[in-house]
Amino acid sequence: MLQYAVLAPFLTALIVPFLFRYIRAIHTGWLILPIPFGIFAYFLSQLTNISEGHTQLSGIEWVPSLGMNFSFYLDGLSLLFSLLISGIGTLVVLYSIFYLDKNEKLNNFYVFLYIFMGAMLGVVLSDNIYALYLFWELTSISSFLLIGYWYERQASRYGALKSMIITVLGGLSMLGGLILLSIITGTTSIREMIAASDTVLESPYFTGILVLILLGAFTKSAQFPFHIWLPDAMEAPTPVSAFLHSATMVKAGIYLTARLFLLFGGTDIFFVLVTGFGLLTLCWGSYMAVRQTDLKAILAFSTISQLGMIMTMLGFGTKEAAFAAVFHIFNHATFKGSLFMVAGIVDHETGTRDIRRLGGLMTLMPISATLAFFGAFSMAGVPLPIFNGFLSKEMFFQTSLDLETTSTLVASIAPFVPALAVFGSIFTFVYSMYFFFHTFTGETRGQLKVKPHEAPIGMLISPIVLVLFVVIVGLLPNMINEPILTPATAAIYGELPNKHIVFWHGFEPALYMSMIVVALGVILFLTRTKWQSVYNWIPGVLSANKTYDYLYNMQFRVSERTTRTYMTGSIRHYMLYILIFIIGATGVTLFVTDGFVIDTSDLAPISWPEVVVGLVMAIAAIATILMKNRIAAILVLGIVGYGLSLLFVFFRAPDLALTQLIVETVTVALFLLCFYHLPKLDTKKQPVGAKTLNIIVSVSVGVLVTLVAIASHSSKKFETIAHYFIKESHHLGGGNNVVNVILVDMRGLDTLFEITVLGLAALGIYAMIRLRDKGEMD
Amino acid sequence: MTNLIFLPILIPLIAGTMFVFFRKRLPLVRAGTQIVTILNLAVTAFVTYYVLENGTLVLQTGGWDAPYGIILVGDGLAMSLILTTNIIAVAAAFYAPYSLDKGREEFYFYTFFLILIGGVSGAFLTGDIFNLFVFFEVLLMASYGLITLGGTRQQLRESIKYVLLNLFSSILFVTTVAFLYSVTGTVNMAQLSVRVGYVNQTGILTTIGILFFIVFATKGALFPLYFWMPNAYTKPPAVISALFGALLTKVGIYSIIRIFTLIFNGNIDYTHTFFIVLAGFTLIFGVAGALSTNNIKLIIAYNIIPAIGFMIMGVGVFSELSLSGSIYYLIHDMVIKAALFLLVGAVAIVAGTTDLRKISGLIKEFPFLGWMFFIASLVLAGLPPFSGFIGKLQLLQGAFENGHYVVAIVALITSLLILISVMRIFILGFWGEGMDLPQNTRSIRPLYFPISFLLIFSIVLGVGAEWFLPYIQQIGVDLTDPSVYIDAVLKKE
Repeated sequence: MLQYAVLAPFLTALIVPFLFRYIRAIHTGWLILPIPFGIFAYFLSQLTNISEGHTQLSGIEWVPSLGMNFSFYLDGLSLLFSLLISGIGTLVVLYSIFYLDKNEKLNNFYVFLYIFMGAMLGVVLSDNIYALYLFWELTSISSFLLIGYWYERQASRYGALKSMIITVLGGLSMLGGLILLSIITGTTSIREMIAASDTVLESPYFTGILVLILLGAFTKSAQFPFHIWLPDAMEAPTPVSAFLHSATMVKAGIYLTARLFLLFGGTDIFFVLVTGFGLLTLCWGSYMAVRQTDLKAILAFSTISQLGMIMTMLGFGTKEAAFAAVFHIFNHATFKGSLFMVAGIVDHETGTRDIRRLGGLMTLMPISATLAFFGAFSMAGVPLPIFNGFLSKEMFFQTSLDLETTSTLVASIAPFVPALAVFGSIFTFVYSMYFFFHTFTGETRGQLKVKPHEAPIGMLISPIVLVLFVVIVGLLPNMINEPILTPATAAIYGELPNKHIVFWHGFEPALYMSMIVVALGVILFLTRTKWQSVYNWIPGVLSANKTYDYLYNMQFRVSERTTRTYMTGSIRHYMLYILIFIIGATGVTLFVTDGFVIDTSDLAPISWPEVVVGLVMAIAAIATILMKNRIAAILVLGIVGYGLSLLFVFFRAPDLALTQLIVETVTVALFLLCFYHLPKLDTKKQPVGAKTLNIIVSVSVGVLVTLVAIASHSSKKFETIAHYFIKESHHLGGGNNVVNVILVDMRGLDTLFEITVLGLAALGIYAMIRLRDKGEMD
Repeated sequence: MTNLIFLPILIPLIAGTMFVFFRKRLPLVRAGTQIVTILNLAVTAFVTYYVLENGTLVLQTGGWDAPYGIILVGDGLAMSLILTTNIIAVAAAFYAPYSLDKGREEFYFYTFFLILIGGVSGAFLTGDIFNLFVFFEVLLMASYGLITLGGTRQQLRESIKYVLLNLFSSILFVTTVAFLYSVTGTVNMAQLSVRVGYVNQTGILTTIGILFFIVFATKGALFPLYFWMPNAYTKPPAVISALFGALLTKVGIYSIIRIFTLIFNGNIDYTHTFFIVLAGFTLIFGVAGALSTNNIKLIIAYNIIPAIGFMIMGVGVFSELSLSGSIYYLIHDMVIKAALFLLVGAVAIVAGTTDLRKISGLIKEFPFLGWMFFIASLVLAGLPPFSGFIGKLQLLQGAFENGHYVVAIVALITSLLILISVMRIFILGFWGEGMDLPQNTRSIRPLYFPISFLLIFSIVLGVGAEWFLPYIQQIGVDLTDPSVYIDAVLKKE
């Protein structure tokens, strides 16, 4: 059944283009809205089953030879995410029907969106690491396409590419980690890996694997310093931002960390990395959010910060923290989803998302303002029982105080954690207030192109549903405790949490922390114009974005520079590199393997004529290089050829001598004919250095080939197959001339294709002469 | 039955020769070529299936027993590569008539093309190292014909480098064969394997092996021997670039795989470690080349190099898994490189330029072309569920299992850079504001068929990997055990 839930969105994506084309009267969104809702209903029906502790496993084989299968596993954790994906997916599709006009490229939009939905379900349901990786990359790709939906805009293209580069980088790193895991544990199933967690823990590659996999999780979940892609991803249409870039895709990294918690959790290195980067992201994201002027940018940095907070809790490694993380995953999806939708409504109705130009919208858009109020105050963690955000935030504070300080490393870091948690939360409070009050209260600050009015009801339904969750969960948190939160925590931590959520704990440190957040938050919010200049100091000119841009451009610059250095277009250079490589590789091999041997026992006596001919050939060969005139050079080169025919005569091979003689004569004649048309030989002086290098290289190649030739001759170990040819030539081949029999019979295939080569050469030359680009001739 | 394996060489050879005499009757030659390539594909598919199911076919040409005569060996590796070659041939046969000018077609394009296919098939089949040289000459001579065909100034300028460097490596090839013959007294590859193994691959044999490696690495465009390749491959028309990019360098890689599993397997610590180092550099420098240019054809041509790096990495790691990965990657790369060259050829036709800075917004007018390019980019970068991933995964697993972490991580980073290099074409060329398209260009609609034919095969090779993988893995197993090949060739009476 699970595989059909994953498959359904993909199949829908396949038919969307046809629906869009042939049913123009109805907005395509309506036609495909039932799909995510059906999936949602299915997962809802699994709630009791899962909360009773049952799990579900099903799937289909893909490439069993490599252990790659689509095996899907439903437990508390994957159920929580599946519900979020299909539930918010339904709301987002509904919202998008009103957000995107029928004249938009809806076919593209819904294809990408449904591919994403299927892929995201695949990520959270896959038990097989390769299927997980497949869906993981598919979410990156669909996110890339959705961010680039308005591809005429430069910013969309920039954001799309940036998100893809960073998330695919992380994906590849994760793949490396997963491959190592599968090698160590001998399985490709995550459940079986977890069962073998001792092997992983003892492996010398533990740290390496952890770092590789966390790199995947951190890039996907926009952890510092990889968070930079998320603000640029806001170029996507707002339904996409609400769905991918706040509720689901960016939580894939969180999901992965939670899923592999039983493998890595509880170790010092896991705590340091996950909590460390989480806290850094929490503080940095909330601090930077206050500075933004675009509504969606505020929400983007807010998402970064909240993801950091969830990551931090996972890093804590305690059961309570895991529970709090799960709770906050749920809460964040509700309030952030609704806030994004409100931002989209504001953008839609006023034509701008620039918070400096907005204000006083409360009277014009009362419903949106109310929704924003609940979303923002829940996000800020205002201590009232109608905000679910407060409940999970207080748990965060509580767990930050209750760290298990068993190791000295954790003990030395633990005291700073609550302080940083409070620091980050203060800014969260500030930007939440800023988001709400600056948009909906006060005076209208700029001239708007259109007169704003409340959004159509269809657009409001989705955020209303989400805000209802904010309030209901705030009031009755235990309603989702047993069916959703407890099973999810159990799946992460391996034990049932037995946690009862209460609003009032009494006067506990966590409450004081909340009070500090609210008190300092209010002060900072009211005085924010006074301290804005702090951003000139931190981050000042430092920026991860600039680093990304620098690296991105540098890869092209460096590539171009290096490539241009050696790809000179000069055949001399190429030849030189190749020869140097030959000298190096062959020379070193000959030396290292002690391959050089010399054995003179098998040599024939050398007669004087042979010596003389040899010397003449050598002198002629050298002389060829020194000639200043082409014709002279080719004539001198001819001496080498004729010398060779003489040697053939001495070695009793008259037919070879004849062939050589003819070849030599014809080539010399041809050369002479051609050279008549060529300009004078360029005798430009080469620099001494280059000349010396050339001489060294040429001589070395010559020496090396000679050495290999001598060694080859001296290492004769076997009887050659030539004896067979001589013996059988007459008997089997029916000819007395062995060479002839070899050419036409024994190795006739060689001859056939050498003839083909000659034929091709003839055709090539004919084509070259006849078919020339007339325009380019001068 | 054994005679069948000669057909993939014979059919194109005869057809190619015949078409010389019908130079002016283009409709006949075009249709003839298309029929012949399809016929050849069908025959090859049958023979490949037969070989994979029933084992290696050995043909002793002229009835001369091994190891004395020339032996053609149709084993799983050879046949699966020939099958892939013929798939590309069909695509090229249907692409050429709609993209080439009449002059090139009349001056024997189809003959060169068919004989090139025959030569490539021969190189895959032969079990004789001197005959391998001969088939190299056939395919090189056909490629010389193709690269100069049309005689534009730029073409000739790059051709001369191409011809000279290839001639040089051919000379080195035949010289090295002579050295090897001197030591071992044979040119039959199975017997070479036996004899080289018998003397434990003495130092001089390792040296000769390295010389062979240099020869094939030059043909195969490995670092630092590929200088002749990128520019030469981009100057002729797209269909010729596709044939070169898909087939020529791959014959070099095939030869390395064959020679260094079958013959020179006695000093793996030395030779194969050397390969891994070179593979790392090939990956980096190759992809750097692809990032260095705005010429879309050149981007694809440079991308040949890192792919070679992946394959050599698998040979260097030298495990059953990594060799299977190399072969899977090889097959994948042949298909996708052909598809990409054909794609950028179509882009160049509609945009009137290959300069990426002058192309934008094509997806509005040509959505199908755009999405085909997008998918091809993902295939090239080795993202699942496409074919590149199946090969890459095995290569990475093999590298990690055998402790070659550095090269594995280099390979991972290279994958990302490959993706960036081609995604740039999509983002800049297909996205963005629409451009003023040149008028009166020929329609590219007929080109969609051959391109999608290749792409579908690529996708099937990935999504349907389980249909192919057991065979390829078996090839990987057989390659690590030379006795399989030797027994097939020498013990056959």
